[in-house]
Amino acid sequence: MRGKDFWMDFVRTYFMIVTLITLVMCVVGQVVMPDQTFGYKAFTAPLIYALVGTVPNIVLYSKHELKVKELLVRKVLQLILIEAGVLFVALYGTSDDWWDSSFLLILAGSVLVVYVVGTLIAWIGDLMSAKSLTRDLLEFQRANEA
Amino acid sequence: MEIKIFKVGKDQPEEAWIRCHEMTEEVREIVAFVKTRQGQLTGIQEGKQFEIAVTDLAYVEAVDNKVFLYTQKQVYETKQKLYELEELLREKYFLRVSKSMLLNLMKIGSIKPAMNGRMLAVLKSEEEIIITRKYVADLKKALRGETSDR
Repeated sequence: MRGKDFWMDFVRTYFMIVTLITLVMCVVGQVVMPDQTFGYKAFTAPLIYALVGTVPNIVLYSKHELKVKELLVRKVLQLILIEAGVLFVALYGTSDDWWDSSFLLILAGSVLVVYVVGTLIAWIGDLMSAKSLTRDLLEFQRANEA
Repeated sequence: MEIKIFKVGKDQPEEAWIRCHEMTEEVREIVAFVKTRQGQLTGIQEGKQFEIAVTDLAYVEAVDNKVFLYTQKQVYETKQKLYELEELLREKYFLRVSKSMLLNLMKIGSIKPAMNGRMLAVLKSEEEIIITRKYVADLKKALRGETSDR
């Protein structure tokens, strides 16, 4: 992937995550803590968490096309960096002291589940596309065989 | 260079003559173009020139400003540029599948996912070629007989 394409992808992903986090905070907040009020500082949370989720994408950048195994290794590294970033922000990014080890475990587990499920959904989508492409390919070859 | 075209009868073979003072790069390009139109490419291997049938080519790859032609068993270098070959081989079922590669669609056995929206073309020779995300849509269109936007 070219550098320009990578950074365009990076920015697109960042703002997509900002939007989704804001949406989740809004929906979950209204269900779990409908009376809770926040100050202006709360607006920075989606921006920071989205940055934490997007910056590790840098490990996926390569000038040459990565092989499947290479990409898999880098994706594991990306997950580790996201986990570390999220836990760091949860531990040191707030003055609240109501975090405990079980909460951090749930947080880390949630990040893992979201990452794995997201990757799995994308892979299933790719698998369906690949099957459809193979079908089209065989038809194409039959039609153009000399 | 002056161009003259003479019509010949059906009983005579069609010929293309080039009368030149010396074999320049321009002349070589014209020869390569005519050969490609006839389904042939010139490849160089260990200093020797070979005529390769386009139908025998599996893929074409550009590496460090050099372009290589790959058949199932042999690799040849060519003086033609990748973008020139892309244009010339389009009608011969070749498609660009990454920044540096043209793939013969007739040599692919199946297509598998390769993560991040990329695809893996498994050739009939078992070799695997990555189709980058950017070119997957073009592949889809080419296989369905639609024209690409590129």
